Amino acid sequence: MATLDFYQAGRSRVHGWNPVTKLSLSLTLVVTAFALPVLWWPVALLVLVLLPAVLASGVQRRFLATMSRFLLPVILLLFVIQGLFYPGGGQVLLTLGPLSVHADGLLFAARTALRLVVLTGSFLFLLLTTHPGDLMTALVARGLPPKISYVVSATLQIIPAFRQRAQGILQAQRARGLRTDTGLVSRVRALVPLISPLILGALSEVDERSIAMEARAFGSTARRTSYTVIPDSTAQRLARWLMLLAALTAIALTTTGVVS
Amino acid sequence: MRPSVKIAAGTLVVLATYVYLVLERPGVSGIGALVALAGYLLGSVLIILGATDRLSTSAVALVPVAIAINIVVGQLALATGIPLYLDSIGIVLVGVLAGPAAGAATGALTCVIWGLTINPTIMPFAVTAAEIGTLAGLAAMVGAFRRPWWAALSGLLTGIVSALVSSPISAFVYGGATTSAGTTAVVGVFQAYGNTLLASTTLQGLISDPLDKTVTFSLTFLILLALPARFRQRFAFARSHRVFARRVALEA
Repeated sequence: MATLDFYQAGRSRVHGWNPVTKLSLSLTLVVTAFALPVLWWPVALLVLVLLPAVLASGVQRRFLATMSRFLLPVILLLFVIQGLFYPGGGQVLLTLGPLSVHADGLLFAARTALRLVVLTGSFLFLLLTTHPGDLMTALVARGLPPKISYVVSATLQIIPAFRQRAQGILQAQRARGLRTDTGLVSRVRALVPLISPLILGALSEVDERSIAMEARAFGSTARRTSYTVIPDSTAQRLARWLMLLAALTAIALTTTGVVS
Repeated sequence: MRPSVKIAAGTLVVLATYVYLVLERPGVSGIGALVALAGYLLGSVLIILGATDRLSTSAVALVPVAIAINIVVGQLALATGIPLYLDSIGIVLVGVLAGPAAGAATGALTCVIWGLTINPTIMPFAVTAAEIGTLAGLAAMVGAFRRPWWAALSGLLTGIVSALVSSPISAFVYGGATTSAGTTAVVGVFQAYGNTLLASTTLQGLISDPLDKTVTFSLTFLILLALPARFRQRFAFARSHRVFARRVALEA
Protein backbone atom coordinates (compact mmCIF):
# COMPACT_ATOMS: atom_id res chain seq x y z
CA MET A 1 0.00 0.00 0.00
CA ALA A 2 1.35 3.40 -0.93
CA THR A 3 2.17 5.63 2.01
CA LEU A 4 -0.09 8.57 2.33
CA ASP A 5 2.22 11.40 3.24
CA PHE A 6 5.40 12.92 1.89
CA TYR A 7 7.21 12.46 5.19
CA GLN A 8 10.66 10.96 4.88
CA ALA A 9 12.03 9.89 8.24
CA GLY A 10 15.48 11.12 9.12
CA ARG A 11 17.67 12.12 12.03
CA SER A 12 18.92 15.47 10.79
CA ARG A 13 18.70 18.60 12.93
CA VAL A 14 16.04 19.95 10.58
CA HIS A 15 13.85 16.94 11.33
CA GLY A 16 14.17 17.77 15.01
CA TRP A 17 13.05 21.38 14.68
CA ASN A 18 9.70 22.28 16.11
CA PRO A 19 7.09 21.89 13.31
CA VAL A 20 5.82 25.40 14.01
CA THR A 21 9.30 26.76 13.23
CA LYS A 22 9.30 24.95 9.88
CA LEU A 23 5.77 26.13 9.16
CA SER A 24 6.83 29.72 9.92
CA LEU A 25 9.82 29.31 7.61
CA SER A 26 7.58 28.10 4.78
CA LEU A 27 5.09 30.92 5.26
CA THR A 28 7.85 33.55 5.45
CA LEU A 29 9.46 32.26 2.26
CA VAL A 30 6.15 32.37 0.41
CA VAL A 31 5.18 35.82 1.68
CA THR A 32 8.53 37.42 0.86
CA ALA A 33 8.72 35.69 -2.55
CA PHE A 34 5.34 37.08 -3.54
CA ALA A 35 5.66 40.46 -1.81
CA LEU A 36 8.91 41.74 -3.33
CA PRO A 37 8.52 42.55 -7.05
CA VAL A 38 12.15 41.80 -7.88
CA LEU A 39 12.71 39.12 -10.50
CA TRP A 40 15.81 37.52 -8.96
CA TRP A 41 14.52 37.60 -5.37
CA PRO A 42 12.89 34.12 -5.43
CA VAL A 43 16.16 32.75 -6.83
CA ALA A 44 18.02 34.23 -3.87
CA LEU A 45 15.53 32.66 -1.46
CA LEU A 46 15.91 29.29 -3.18
CA VAL A 47 19.70 29.28 -3.26
CA LEU A 48 20.36 30.89 0.12
CA VAL A 49 17.56 29.46 2.28
CA LEU A 50 15.48 26.65 0.82
CA LEU A 51 18.12 24.50 -0.86
CA PRO A 52 20.55 24.60 2.11
CA ALA A 53 17.66 23.61 4.40
CA VAL A 54 16.71 20.73 2.07
CA LEU A 55 20.33 19.55 1.81
CA ALA A 56 20.78 19.77 5.58
CA SER A 57 17.78 17.50 6.10
CA GLY A 58 18.97 14.97 3.50
CA VAL A 59 15.67 14.79 1.60
CA GLN A 60 17.02 16.34 -1.62
CA ARG A 61 16.33 13.36 -3.91
CA ARG A 62 12.66 13.12 -3.12
CA PHE A 63 12.45 16.90 -3.04
CA LEU A 64 13.74 17.23 -6.60
CA ALA A 65 11.74 14.29 -7.92
CA THR A 66 8.46 15.52 -6.41
CA MET A 67 9.04 19.13 -7.41
CA SER A 68 9.68 18.26 -11.03
CA ARG A 69 6.64 15.98 -11.10
CA PHE A 70 4.37 18.77 -9.86
CA LEU A 71 5.88 21.82 -11.46
CA LEU A 72 7.62 20.91 -14.74
CA PRO A 73 4.39 20.51 -16.76
CA VAL A 74 2.86 23.65 -15.21
CA ILE A 75 5.94 25.77 -15.86
CA LEU A 76 6.33 24.46 -19.40
CA LEU A 77 2.71 25.30 -20.22
CA LEU A 78 3.06 28.65 -18.47
CA PHE A 79 5.94 29.68 -20.74
CA VAL A 80 4.20 28.49 -23.90
CA ILE A 81 0.86 30.18 -23.16
CA GLN A 82 2.16 33.43 -21.71
CA GLY A 83 5.02 33.71 -24.21
CA LEU A 84 2.48 33.56 -27.04
CA PHE A 85 -0.68 35.13 -25.67
CA TYR A 86 0.31 37.53 -22.87
CA PRO A 87 -1.78 40.70 -23.39
CA GLY A 88 0.25 43.81 -24.07
CA GLY A 89 3.03 42.12 -25.93
CA GLY A 90 6.17 44.21 -25.82
CA GLN A 91 9.20 43.44 -27.91
CA VAL A 92 8.68 40.59 -30.40
CA LEU A 93 11.45 38.05 -30.06
CA LEU A 94 10.41 35.43 -32.56
CA THR A 95 7.69 35.03 -35.19
CA LEU A 96 6.26 31.62 -36.06
CA GLY A 97 3.67 32.13 -38.80
CA PRO A 98 0.63 33.75 -37.16
CA LEU A 99 2.13 33.43 -33.67
CA SER A 100 4.83 35.56 -32.11
CA VAL A 101 6.79 35.26 -28.88
CA HIS A 102 6.75 38.41 -26.75
CA ALA A 103 9.35 39.49 -24.23
CA ASP A 104 6.77 40.74 -21.72
CA GLY A 105 5.01 37.39 -21.72
CA LEU A 106 8.22 35.47 -21.10
CA LEU A 107 9.12 37.85 -18.28
CA PHE A 108 5.71 37.32 -16.69
CA ALA A 109 6.08 33.55 -17.08
CA ALA A 110 9.53 33.60 -15.49
CA ARG A 111 8.29 35.71 -12.56
CA THR A 112 5.30 33.44 -11.95
CA ALA A 113 7.36 30.25 -12.36
CA LEU A 114 10.01 31.34 -9.85
CA ARG A 115 7.35 32.22 -7.29
CA LEU A 116 5.59 28.90 -7.85
CA VAL A 117 8.85 27.06 -7.21
CA VAL A 118 9.22 28.87 -3.87
CA LEU A 119 5.54 28.32 -2.97
CA THR A 120 5.57 24.59 -3.71
CA GLY A 121 9.14 24.01 -2.57
CA SER A 122 8.79 25.55 0.85
CA PHE A 123 5.67 23.53 1.65
CA LEU A 124 7.17 20.36 0.26
CA PHE A 125 10.18 20.95 2.50
CA LEU A 126 7.85 21.20 5.50
CA LEU A 127 5.96 18.04 4.52
CA LEU A 128 9.08 16.00 3.75
CA THR A 129 10.72 16.74 7.09
CA THR A 130 7.68 16.81 9.38
CA HIS A 131 5.37 13.95 10.30
CA PRO A 132 1.74 15.11 9.95
CA GLY A 133 1.02 13.79 13.45
CA ASP A 134 3.81 15.93 14.93
CA LEU A 135 2.59 18.98 13.03
CA MET A 136 -0.92 18.49 14.44
CA THR A 137 0.36 17.93 18.01
CA ALA A 138 2.48 21.08 17.83
CA LEU A 139 -0.43 23.10 16.46
CA VAL A 140 -2.87 21.78 19.09
CA ALA A 141 -0.35 22.81 21.76
CA ARG A 142 -0.62 26.33 20.28
CA GLY A 143 -4.41 26.45 20.42
CA LEU A 144 -5.61 24.61 17.32
CA PRO A 145 -8.98 23.00 18.25
CA PRO A 146 -8.56 19.23 18.87
CA LYS A 147 -11.55 18.62 16.57
CA ILE A 148 -9.53 19.84 13.56
CA SER A 149 -6.55 17.76 14.58
CA TYR A 150 -8.84 14.72 14.85
CA VAL A 151 -10.32 15.33 11.40
CA VAL A 152 -6.89 15.58 9.76
CA SER A 153 -5.39 12.57 11.53
CA ALA A 154 -8.48 10.39 11.07
CA THR A 155 -8.65 11.22 7.36
CA LEU A 156 -5.02 10.26 6.86
CA GLN A 157 -5.81 6.86 8.38
CA ILE A 158 -9.07 6.32 6.50
CA ILE A 159 -7.87 7.08 2.97
CA PRO A 160 -5.59 4.03 2.44
CA ALA A 161 -8.33 1.65 3.60
CA PHE A 162 -10.75 3.50 1.40
CA ARG A 163 -8.58 3.23 -1.66
CA GLN A 164 -8.31 -0.50 -1.14
CA ARG A 165 -12.07 -0.76 -0.92
CA ALA A 166 -12.43 1.27 -4.13
CA GLN A 167 -10.04 -1.09 -5.90
CA GLY A 168 -12.00 -4.07 -4.60
CA ILE A 169 -15.30 -2.62 -5.84
CA LEU A 170 -13.78 -1.82 -9.22
CA GLN A 171 -12.56 -5.39 -9.64
CA ALA A 172 -15.84 -6.87 -8.40
CA GLN A 173 -17.89 -4.78 -10.84
CA ARG A 174 -15.53 -5.61 -13.70
CA ALA A 175 -15.93 -9.28 -12.88
CA ARG A 176 -19.68 -8.74 -13.26
CA GLY A 177 -19.13 -7.30 -16.74
CA LEU A 178 -18.83 -3.56 -16.08
CA ARG A 179 -16.97 -1.88 -18.93
CA THR A 180 -14.79 1.13 -18.16
CA ASP A 181 -12.88 1.28 -21.42
CA THR A 182 -15.48 2.44 -23.98
CA GLY A 183 -17.07 5.80 -24.81
CA LEU A 184 -17.66 8.79 -22.59
CA VAL A 185 -21.30 8.11 -21.73
CA SER A 186 -20.63 4.54 -20.69
CA ARG A 187 -17.74 5.68 -18.52
CA VAL A 188 -19.92 8.18 -16.68
CA ARG A 189 -22.58 5.50 -16.31
CA ALA A 190 -19.95 3.09 -15.02
CA LEU A 191 -19.13 5.47 -12.19
CA VAL A 192 -22.50 4.97 -10.47
CA PRO A 193 -22.05 1.27 -9.58
CA LEU A 194 -18.53 2.14 -8.43
CA ILE A 195 -19.25 5.20 -6.33
CA SER A 196 -22.49 4.25 -4.62
CA PRO A 197 -21.31 1.08 -2.80
CA LEU A 198 -18.12 2.89 -1.82
CA ILE A 199 -19.90 5.86 -0.28
CA LEU A 200 -22.81 3.99 1.28
CA GLY A 201 -20.39 1.53 2.87
CA ALA A 202 -18.24 4.31 4.28
CA LEU A 203 -21.20 6.26 5.66
CA SER A 204 -22.53 3.19 7.45
CA GLU A 205 -19.44 3.34 9.67
CA VAL A 206 -20.05 6.94 10.72
CA ASP A 207 -22.76 5.99 13.24
CA GLU A 208 -20.49 3.56 15.06
CA ARG A 209 -17.64 6.03 15.06
CA SER A 210 -19.65 8.84 16.57
CA ILE A 211 -21.05 6.59 19.30
CA ALA A 212 -17.54 5.40 20.14
CA MET A 213 -16.29 8.98 20.23
CA GLU A 214 -19.12 10.21 22.42
CA ALA A 215 -18.47 7.33 24.82
CA ARG A 216 -14.89 8.63 25.18
CA ALA A 217 -15.90 12.24 25.96
CA PHE A 218 -14.73 13.56 22.57
CA GLY A 219 -16.64 16.84 22.77
CA SER A 220 -15.37 17.66 26.26
CA THR A 221 -13.81 21.10 26.48
CA ALA A 222 -11.61 20.30 29.48
CA ARG A 223 -7.93 21.02 28.96
CA ARG A 224 -6.01 17.87 28.04
CA THR A 225 -2.41 16.88 28.44
CA SER A 226 -0.44 15.56 25.49
CA TYR A 227 1.26 12.18 25.29
CA THR A 228 3.98 13.34 22.89
CA VAL A 229 6.06 16.39 23.71
CA ILE A 230 7.33 18.42 20.76
CA PRO A 231 10.76 19.94 21.46
CA ASP A 232 11.25 23.68 21.23
CA SER A 233 14.09 26.04 22.06
CA THR A 234 14.72 29.70 22.76
CA ALA A 235 16.71 30.02 19.55
CA GLN A 236 13.76 28.72 17.54
CA ARG A 237 11.36 31.03 19.35
CA LEU A 238 13.63 33.95 18.48
CA ALA A 239 13.93 32.73 14.87
CA ARG A 240 10.14 32.65 14.55
CA TRP A 241 9.84 36.27 15.70
CA LEU A 242 12.59 37.31 13.29
CA MET A 243 10.86 35.53 10.39
CA LEU A 244 7.59 37.30 11.21
CA LEU A 245 9.50 40.58 11.22
CA ALA A 246 11.11 39.76 7.85
CA ALA A 247 7.73 38.95 6.27
CA LEU A 248 6.19 42.17 7.59
CA THR A 249 9.19 44.18 6.35
CA ALA A 250 8.85 42.70 2.86
CA ILE A 251 5.17 43.65 2.74
CA ALA A 252 5.92 47.17 4.07
CA LEU A 253 8.70 47.70 1.50
CA THR A 254 6.38 46.87 -1.38
CA THR A 255 3.26 48.68 -0.21
CA THR A 256 5.19 51.87 0.55
CA GLY A 257 6.85 51.66 -2.87
CA VAL A 258 10.46 51.52 -1.62
CA VAL A 259 11.08 48.45 -3.79
CA SER A 260 9.38 48.39 -7.16
CA MET B 1 -14.57 35.37 19.49
CA ARG B 2 -17.87 33.56 19.12
CA PRO B 3 -18.00 30.93 16.35
CA SER B 4 -20.59 32.79 14.27
CA VAL B 5 -18.47 35.97 14.46
CA LYS B 6 -15.46 34.02 13.15
CA ILE B 7 -17.48 32.59 10.27
CA ALA B 8 -18.89 36.00 9.38
CA ALA B 9 -15.46 37.63 9.58
CA GLY B 10 -13.96 34.87 7.42
CA THR B 11 -16.67 35.26 4.80
CA LEU B 12 -16.18 39.03 4.77
CA VAL B 13 -12.41 38.66 4.31
CA VAL B 14 -12.96 36.29 1.36
CA LEU B 15 -15.50 38.60 -0.28
CA ALA B 16 -13.33 41.69 0.29
CA THR B 17 -10.35 39.87 -1.25
CA TYR B 18 -12.34 38.95 -4.33
CA VAL B 19 -13.81 42.44 -4.77
CA TYR B 20 -10.36 44.03 -4.36
CA LEU B 21 -8.80 41.69 -6.95
CA VAL B 22 -11.55 42.26 -9.50
CA LEU B 23 -11.78 46.03 -9.07
CA GLU B 24 -8.12 46.91 -8.60
CA ARG B 25 -6.74 44.40 -11.14
CA PRO B 26 -3.27 44.43 -9.62
CA GLY B 27 -0.69 43.77 -12.31
CA VAL B 28 2.31 41.51 -12.17
CA SER B 29 3.76 43.37 -9.17
CA GLY B 30 3.03 40.31 -7.08
CA ILE B 31 0.75 42.11 -4.65
CA GLY B 32 -2.21 40.59 -6.48
CA ALA B 33 -0.95 37.07 -5.83
CA LEU B 34 -0.08 37.90 -2.24
CA VAL B 35 -3.50 39.43 -1.56
CA ALA B 36 -5.20 36.45 -3.23
CA LEU B 37 -3.19 33.94 -1.18
CA ALA B 38 -3.28 35.80 2.13
CA GLY B 39 -6.90 36.96 1.96
CA TYR B 40 -8.24 33.58 0.94
CA LEU B 41 -6.04 31.80 3.49
CA LEU B 42 -7.07 34.05 6.37
CA GLY B 43 -10.73 33.78 5.38
CA SER B 44 -10.57 29.98 5.13
CA VAL B 45 -8.81 29.65 8.49
CA LEU B 46 -11.42 31.82 10.22
CA ILE B 47 -14.23 29.81 8.61
CA ILE B 48 -12.63 26.47 9.59
CA LEU B 49 -12.11 27.62 13.20
CA GLY B 50 -15.59 29.05 13.58
CA ALA B 51 -17.32 26.12 11.90
CA THR B 52 -15.55 23.31 13.78
CA ASP B 53 -16.37 24.98 17.11
CA ARG B 54 -20.02 24.28 16.52
CA LEU B 55 -19.80 20.79 15.02
CA SER B 56 -21.60 18.04 16.88
CA THR B 57 -19.78 14.78 17.51
CA SER B 58 -21.72 12.99 14.78
CA ALA B 59 -20.71 15.71 12.32
CA VAL B 60 -17.07 15.46 13.41
CA ALA B 61 -17.23 11.72 12.78
CA LEU B 62 -18.72 12.33 9.33
CA VAL B 63 -16.13 14.88 8.14
CA PRO B 64 -13.07 12.54 7.78
CA VAL B 65 -15.19 10.04 5.85
CA ALA B 66 -16.46 12.85 3.61
CA ILE B 67 -12.94 14.07 2.92
CA ALA B 68 -11.82 10.55 2.08
CA ILE B 69 -14.78 10.28 -0.32
CA ASN B 70 -13.71 13.51 -2.03
CA ILE B 71 -10.15 12.37 -2.51
CA VAL B 72 -10.78 8.75 -3.51
CA VAL B 73 -13.72 9.45 -5.84
CA GLY B 74 -11.80 12.40 -7.31
CA GLN B 75 -8.93 10.10 -8.14
CA LEU B 76 -11.29 7.42 -9.44
CA ALA B 77 -12.84 9.97 -11.81
CA LEU B 78 -9.37 10.97 -12.92
CA ALA B 79 -8.47 7.32 -13.55
CA THR B 80 -11.55 6.63 -15.67
CA GLY B 81 -10.64 9.59 -17.87
CA ILE B 82 -13.94 11.48 -17.79
CA PRO B 83 -13.74 15.27 -18.09
CA LEU B 84 -15.22 15.85 -14.61
CA TYR B 85 -13.46 16.38 -11.29
CA LEU B 86 -16.11 14.81 -9.02
CA ASP B 87 -13.91 15.74 -6.07
CA SER B 88 -16.55 17.49 -4.00
CA ILE B 89 -19.25 14.86 -3.38
CA GLY B 90 -18.23 14.59 0.28
CA ILE B 91 -18.29 18.38 0.69
CA VAL B 92 -21.86 18.61 -0.66
CA LEU B 93 -22.89 15.65 1.50
CA VAL B 94 -21.71 17.35 4.71
CA GLY B 95 -23.15 20.70 3.64
CA VAL B 96 -26.58 19.15 3.13
CA LEU B 97 -26.57 17.02 6.28
CA ALA B 98 -24.78 19.27 8.78
CA GLY B 99 -25.19 22.79 7.40
CA PRO B 100 -23.26 25.45 5.47
CA ALA B 101 -20.61 26.04 8.15
CA ALA B 102 -19.78 22.34 8.43
CA GLY B 103 -19.72 22.08 4.64
CA ALA B 104 -17.33 25.01 4.42
CA ALA B 105 -14.98 23.47 6.99
CA THR B 106 -15.08 20.12 5.17
CA GLY B 107 -14.23 21.83 1.90
CA ALA B 108 -11.31 23.82 3.22
CA LEU B 109 -9.93 20.84 5.15
CA THR B 110 -10.21 18.65 2.02
CA CYS B 111 -7.82 20.99 0.25
CA VAL B 112 -5.49 21.09 3.25
CA ILE B 113 -5.34 17.28 3.43
CA TRP B 114 -5.07 16.93 -0.35
CA GLY B 115 -2.11 19.28 -0.09
CA LEU B 116 -0.59 17.37 2.83
CA THR B 117 -0.81 14.01 1.09
CA ILE B 118 -1.03 14.19 -2.67
CA ASN B 119 -0.34 17.57 -4.21
CA PRO B 120 0.60 20.77 -2.33
CA THR B 121 -0.34 22.97 -5.29
CA ILE B 122 -4.05 22.36 -4.52
CA MET B 123 -3.94 24.16 -1.17
CA PRO B 124 -4.53 27.76 -2.39
CA PHE B 125 -7.91 26.64 -3.76
CA ALA B 126 -9.25 25.87 -0.24
CA VAL B 127 -11.57 28.84 -0.43
CA THR B 128 -13.37 27.48 -3.50
CA ALA B 129 -14.02 24.19 -1.72
CA ALA B 130 -15.31 26.11 1.30
CA GLU B 131 -17.64 28.05 -0.96
CA ILE B 132 -19.03 24.81 -2.44
CA GLY B 133 -19.81 23.48 1.05
CA THR B 134 -21.45 26.76 2.08
CA LEU B 135 -23.67 26.95 -0.99
CA ALA B 136 -24.63 23.26 -0.70
CA GLY B 137 -25.73 23.92 2.89
CA LEU B 138 -27.67 27.04 1.94
CA ALA B 139 -29.35 25.17 -0.93
CA ALA B 140 -30.39 22.41 1.47
CA MET B 141 -31.73 25.05 3.87
CA VAL B 142 -34.15 26.40 1.29
CA GLY B 143 -35.23 22.89 0.37
CA ALA B 144 -33.29 22.35 -2.87
CA PHE B 145 -32.47 18.76 -1.92
CA ARG B 146 -36.13 17.70 -1.84
CA ARG B 147 -36.34 17.46 -5.64
CA PRO B 148 -33.68 16.27 -8.10
CA TRP B 149 -33.98 19.17 -10.54
CA TRP B 150 -33.58 21.78 -7.78
CA ALA B 151 -30.46 19.95 -6.59
CA ALA B 152 -29.05 19.99 -10.13
CA LEU B 153 -29.88 23.69 -10.54
CA SER B 154 -28.21 24.63 -7.26
CA GLY B 155 -25.19 22.65 -8.46
CA LEU B 156 -25.12 24.72 -11.63
CA LEU B 157 -25.23 27.98 -9.65
CA THR B 158 -22.55 26.73 -7.25
CA GLY B 159 -20.35 25.90 -10.24
CA ILE B 160 -20.67 29.43 -11.60
CA VAL B 161 -19.68 30.90 -8.23
CA SER B 162 -16.77 28.41 -8.00
CA ALA B 163 -15.42 29.59 -11.34
CA LEU B 164 -15.57 33.22 -10.15
CA VAL B 165 -13.94 32.53 -6.79
CA SER B 166 -11.10 30.35 -8.06
CA SER B 167 -10.15 32.45 -11.09
CA PRO B 168 -8.01 35.00 -9.16
CA ILE B 169 -5.91 32.12 -7.80
CA SER B 170 -5.48 30.58 -11.25
CA ALA B 171 -4.63 33.97 -12.73
CA PHE B 172 -2.48 35.67 -10.11
CA VAL B 173 -0.78 32.69 -8.44
CA TYR B 174 -0.48 30.24 -11.34
CA GLY B 175 -0.41 32.65 -14.28
CA GLY B 176 -3.25 30.73 -15.96
CA ALA B 177 -1.32 27.46 -16.21
CA THR B 178 -2.41 24.12 -14.76
CA THR B 179 -1.05 20.59 -15.02
CA SER B 180 -3.65 19.96 -17.72
CA ALA B 181 -2.62 21.01 -21.22
CA GLY B 182 -6.29 21.22 -22.24
CA THR B 183 -7.44 23.79 -19.69
CA THR B 184 -4.24 25.80 -20.11
CA ALA B 185 -4.77 25.92 -23.87
CA VAL B 186 -8.33 27.19 -23.31
CA VAL B 187 -6.97 30.01 -21.14
CA GLY B 188 -4.48 30.82 -23.90
CA VAL B 189 -7.20 30.95 -26.53
CA PHE B 190 -9.27 33.39 -24.45
CA GLN B 191 -6.19 35.57 -23.97
CA ALA B 192 -5.49 35.47 -27.70
CA TYR B 193 -8.95 36.99 -28.26
CA GLY B 194 -7.87 39.98 -26.18
CA ASN B 195 -9.20 39.06 -22.73
CA THR B 196 -7.18 39.84 -19.61
CA LEU B 197 -5.63 36.95 -17.72
CA LEU B 198 -8.25 37.16 -14.96
CA ALA B 199 -11.09 37.20 -17.49
CA SER B 200 -9.56 34.25 -19.33
CA THR B 201 -9.23 32.04 -16.24
CA THR B 202 -12.79 33.01 -15.25
CA LEU B 203 -14.12 31.98 -18.67
CA GLN B 204 -12.14 28.74 -18.56
CA GLY B 205 -13.64 27.99 -15.13
CA LEU B 206 -17.13 28.73 -16.45
CA ILE B 207 -16.64 26.01 -19.07
CA SER B 208 -15.71 23.23 -16.64
CA ASP B 209 -17.07 24.06 -13.17
CA PRO B 210 -20.85 24.40 -13.70
CA LEU B 211 -21.10 21.03 -15.46
CA ASP B 212 -18.98 19.30 -12.84
CA LYS B 213 -20.97 20.74 -9.94
CA THR B 214 -24.32 19.95 -11.58
CA VAL B 215 -23.28 16.29 -11.87
CA THR B 216 -21.83 16.34 -8.34
CA PHE B 217 -25.00 17.76 -6.76
CA SER B 218 -27.18 15.30 -8.68
CA LEU B 219 -25.03 12.33 -7.64
CA THR B 220 -25.12 13.51 -4.02
CA PHE B 221 -28.89 13.79 -4.22
CA LEU B 222 -29.07 10.14 -5.35
CA ILE B 223 -26.69 9.03 -2.61
CA LEU B 224 -28.74 10.84 0.04
CA LEU B 225 -31.86 9.18 -1.32
CA ALA B 226 -30.24 5.78 -0.87
CA LEU B 227 -29.19 6.45 2.73
CA PRO B 228 -31.41 5.15 5.53
CA ALA B 229 -33.68 7.87 6.95
CA ARG B 230 -32.36 7.10 10.43
CA PHE B 231 -28.88 8.19 9.32
CA ARG B 232 -30.09 11.39 7.69
CA GLN B 233 -32.10 12.37 10.73
CA ARG B 234 -29.10 12.04 13.06
CA PHE B 235 -28.04 15.53 12.05
CA ALA B 236 -29.70 18.44 13.85
CA PHE B 237 -29.36 20.67 10.78
CA ALA B 238 -31.18 18.23 8.49
CA ARG B 239 -33.94 17.84 11.10
CA SER B 240 -34.51 21.48 11.96
CA HIS B 241 -34.47 22.75 8.37
CA ARG B 242 -36.51 19.82 7.09
CA VAL B 243 -33.93 19.20 4.36
CA PHE B 244 -35.72 16.02 3.26
CA ALA B 245 -39.23 17.29 3.93
CA ARG B 246 -41.27 14.61 2.22
CA ARG B 247 -39.75 11.71 4.10
CA VAL B 248 -40.06 13.48 7.46
CA ALA B 249 -43.74 14.11 6.85
CA LEU B 250 -44.29 10.42 6.15
CA GLU B 251 -42.50 9.34 9.29
CA ALA B 252 -44.23 11.91 11.51
